[in-house]
Amino acid sequence: MDRPDLKMINRFESFRRSPAFTGFVLFSLVLILNIALQGPDRFFTASNFGLLLEKNTPLILVTMAQAMLMLLGMIDISIGVQLSLVNVIAIMLPQELGVPWPVAWLAGVLAVMTISAVNGFFVAYMRIPSLLSSFAMIYIVKGINVIIMSKPQGTVPEIVWRTYASEIGGVIPVTFVIITVLFLLWIYLKKTTYIKHVYAVGGNERNAYASGINPARVKMKAFLIAGFITGIAGLCLTAMSGAGNPLMGEAYGLKSIAACILGGIALSGGWGTMSCALFGSGFLVMIQSSVYYLFKHLYVWIPGFQVTTYWQNLVSDGIILLGLVATIFTAQTQRAAFKTGLKKQLKGGERLGE
Amino acid sequence: MRQFVRDNQVGMALIISALLFAVNIAINPASLNANTFGSIIALTLLLSFASAGQTLIMITGGIDLSVGAVMSMAAIFTANTMAGQEGQMPLVIAQVVPMALIVGLVNGVGVVKLKLPAMVITMCVSNVVTRLQYVYTQGLPTGTTSKFFTMTLQHRFFGFIPGMTLYGIVIFGIVLYILNRSRYGQQLFLTGNNRNAAYLAGVRSDMVEILAYVLGSLLAGIAGIIGAGYMNFVICQSLDSYTMMSIVAVVVGGTLLIGGKGSYLGTAVGSLLIIVLSNCLAVLNSSDAVRSVIMGGVLILLLAVYNKEKPIRQ
Amino acid sequence: MLEMHGITKRFDAVVALNNASFEVAPGEIRALLGSNGSGKSTLVKVLSGLVNPNAGEIKIDGKSVQIGNAQESRRLGIAVAYQDLSLIQSMSVMDNLVLGLEPKGPLGIVDRKQVEARAREVLGRLKIDCRPEDLVRSLPPSVQSMLEVAKAISLKPRLLLLDEVTASLHHNEVDILFDTLRELKEEGMAIVIVTHRMEEIYKLCDGCTILKSGETVARGKMSEMDLNEIVYHMTGKRPDAAAQGVCQLANIEKEEQVLEVRNLVLLPKVKDISLNAFRGEIIGIGGLEGQGQSEFIRALLGVHKPSSGEIYYNGINARFKSPAQAVKKEIGFVSGDRNKEAVFPIRSVAENLYAGKTTKGNIFGYLGPKQINSFAGRAVEEFNIKAGSLKHPANSLSGGNQQKLVVGRWIALAPKLLLLDDPTKGVDINSRREIHKILKKCTEDGMTVIISSSDNAELLEISDRIYIFYEGKVSAMLAEENRTEEKLVAAMMGLISCDTGGELDG
Repeated sequence: MDRPDLKMINRFESFRRSPAFTGFVLFSLVLILNIALQGPDRFFTASNFGLLLEKNTPLILVTMAQAMLMLLGMIDISIGVQLSLVNVIAIMLPQELGVPWPVAWLAGVLAVMTISAVNGFFVAYMRIPSLLSSFAMIYIVKGINVIIMSKPQGTVPEIVWRTYASEIGGVIPVTFVIITVLFLLWIYLKKTTYIKHVYAVGGNERNAYASGINPARVKMKAFLIAGFITGIAGLCLTAMSGAGNPLMGEAYGLKSIAACILGGIALSGGWGTMSCALFGSGFLVMIQSSVYYLFKHLYVWIPGFQVTTYWQNLVSDGIILLGLVATIFTAQTQRAAFKTGLKKQLKGGERLGE
Repeated sequence: MRQFVRDNQVGMALIISALLFAVNIAINPASLNANTFGSIIALTLLLSFASAGQTLIMITGGIDLSVGAVMSMAAIFTANTMAGQEGQMPLVIAQVVPMALIVGLVNGVGVVKLKLPAMVITMCVSNVVTRLQYVYTQGLPTGTTSKFFTMTLQHRFFGFIPGMTLYGIVIFGIVLYILNRSRYGQQLFLTGNNRNAAYLAGVRSDMVEILAYVLGSLLAGIAGIIGAGYMNFVICQSLDSYTMMSIVAVVVGGTLLIGGKGSYLGTAVGSLLIIVLSNCLAVLNSSDAVRSVIMGGVLILLLAVYNKEKPIRQ
Repeated sequence: MLEMHGITKRFDAVVALNNASFEVAPGEIRALLGSNGSGKSTLVKVLSGLVNPNAGEIKIDGKSVQIGNAQESRRLGIAVAYQDLSLIQSMSVMDNLVLGLEPKGPLGIVDRKQVEARAREVLGRLKIDCRPEDLVRSLPPSVQSMLEVAKAISLKPRLLLLDEVTASLHHNEVDILFDTLRELKEEGMAIVIVTHRMEEIYKLCDGCTILKSGETVARGKMSEMDLNEIVYHMTGKRPDAAAQGVCQLANIEKEEQVLEVRNLVLLPKVKDISLNAFRGEIIGIGGLEGQGQSEFIRALLGVHKPSSGEIYYNGINARFKSPAQAVKKEIGFVSGDRNKEAVFPIRSVAENLYAGKTTKGNIFGYLGPKQINSFAGRAVEEFNIKAGSLKHPANSLSGGNQQKLVVGRWIALAPKLLLLDDPTKGVDINSRREIHKILKKCTEDGMTVIISSSDNAELLEISDRIYIFYEGKVSAMLAEENRTEEKLVAAMMGLISCDTGGELDG
């Protein structure tokens, strides 16, 4: 029975049913499009990868944080302003109080974890719907941000942004290392009982409770983990921009939710993995880049073609909307895959031999 | 007392507004003038126009994040088409209505038929609409609204009642009729409260829900036209902040997030609370930042009292 | 090992358990029997910690114990497999099997190998046809039921409770399950099974305890009790299986046939149903719970799409695509599941009464509170609904009055055909009587009523003819002098059956 081709088919079948399949399909499509438009020789260079990751690491990390919550059927739209909170703390503490920057940066992460925990308390113990609770948090955190830093200012030590944008040995971008480390953290978590409980609570809170799990505690921990990842994302944003801006991160909140959905995570909870978050945010990144190269080509191909960059944004947001609709169809093929599995079983003992 | 607080969210919102206003006057008696009064009324009306559609949609248990974008787009159409001339209103409406209809349909079909989360689809639609504003205007909207139109909005009767009240009477009339005096309103409440039971009782709940999104967008479009006339200046995304404010107004006004309960008058009171609160904080000379924090705090407080979910264990 | 004495549980006015007692010994398989609403499930839930009894004592090994929540129940060595499953659909089989009791390695990492080994062991033992890594939601219902049992067994309990788990199992799966249960019995486990399939009890059980209206009315060894006696204790009547020809429509020629259903199939529950109803008749649908009654009624209404069969309504082939279409054609529907399917809990009494009528007329037409209130006011008076005010929310009313709201909603519209799915479940006796009175009066005005009920007395009292469903088919049709409780009971238990023609294919 150890035929390699059968094994491959089986492996593909199980992948087709995994949550990441939706995001994988969307992501690969735009990836191929991007490579075709940019030209493989220019796409596959270390500096190109470095640049892509450098500009988008905050988005990717924020999506991972959002995914952590979405697995439990919760969302946090205040994640965007939390990014800014890290930014303003990391800039203002050294500038105003002379705190050494590493301490300030750590303080930024801790502050976001605290905010996330407060939000978690409202959701898990006060039972306020996460949408509304995080909605109120937007006002509070945004206010705090502006109190700390009223207008864009400040700088980041040169060594920080240089390191952030550099490649280790000229090959591996530092940002890639950051993402990999956080992904490994997820891989570790995925093997623990905690994540099993996350899936159980996200899938059916009542049944999980009946199996002896404490849903409130599980939720609280998820908020702390999400807060930690958001903190790191905020540091990346600070290093990337090299300056402080109290309003910089806001758009990331809703964007991360869209990225999760595009990656195939169910808003209702219990369905998805961190790969979904990577694929979903990767899709957003690649769309932007592809559309940029598409317009570059259009200028060359069509003489006299002249439009503003606003068109690029419109086209990419239009494609994202289409991508959202496309998730429905991949979800449908997934459902069909489940059904064929079901039929096989109804016919009887085919699988007993395994 | 406790019972009263629990059952009268709208009443509580009204009382809080009144208290805030009293504090406002106590601190700065000079602010008790016709002008302040007039601008509070006008801004409250504008916010309640913007929140009208949100009320309908949140009664179904959904949410619409494209309100602000639709309003901004409508505002741009208005200024651009009028360009300071009179008699262009029909043309403006001919642009705004189809735009709002398309947005509402995409939202509604996406939520009801494709079963996409309301928050995500309306946000993506909102992004597209925002990008369209930039493409349409090259990032620099031009034009002003007609003098007469702006005058009808800004004129103060008896020195303090803004002309916008006239529009308010019409819009409140329409929305209140739809919600409280029509079959559709009744079906909307039933669908929002118990979709399954409504379906089994013969209500075409899919249609009812899609229609809510369409009407919501139309109302946002109208609010955008009025907003452009009142502000009398236009930039891209000028009215985007109304998305957030409309949600707060609706929630504060006693509409449940899970749907099935809500009133437009409640939303109007919610709008009043928001405007008075920010006015009060402005008088206190507090910065926007402090205002924002206090706003969030008030919201959390109201949510903790009125919008809790049921515990699993009873 | 387990003894329960004087267990009493009241849900509001309804008494679910009344001084019930129960005991089971190690190495014994005991059946817990009773007809609908006799308190079997409640008794099981008392043991699993989901229901807190008002009074009574539970002893394990002679020691008095308290079961406050699900965890305490598990710790006492009690495991339960529920009829409505406690599995997490989006998780894999093995994760479900160990949920809450994952074997941990260093750093809190789940020992996947051990989990898989445990899963394989228990899957192998019950010969369940699925892989440990399969998702539960990709599995057919029968396998899910087996998994529910497997989950309970893998806790290695001292007392195993199986609540109606065989209902969706195939025959070979039942055999495997029973073999395993016998093995576990040899190992000294105490096993309690709740089932409605009589033949299974004789195959498997050593003894039985019978509940009726929340009281323990009989207990004994299976070898000493015959089927007639068991049914007698369950229902108070001796079954009469001798009657023949109860399947044919008695040769009554009535002028106007309102509804005719031929060989309706809606898998998995409805396998082959034919029935007809004349103008002004009350048709009862009886049977044990879950024999396809609800699905059948919803198929008539257009909620479910039947896979085959014909429905003629007023002589026209009618397959409605949605309830909205059916309602337009003057059909009404009253559900017994008030919370999920009938009542709008936070809307007012008046609005609830008007709900059926809101769909009639132009959608943007005027509908003011005056219209609603006058309509509702008349209905409240006519149906004697006890409500503080028309403006109060529906959830402020008692269960019986809520149900009257729902029935009244349709009666006032005078539909041609009214479908009721167990409308008096959990309704107090007075409201029940009033609902019956209302229904009877309406049929005099020409309405046709189809009512499914889990209460035999109700069926016998109000219906002109009774169809009894058993395992998705009609096991008997009782009319006129055949309408006796003895026959009804026999048909319910599947002791008699009739071939209505047209075999099920596929």
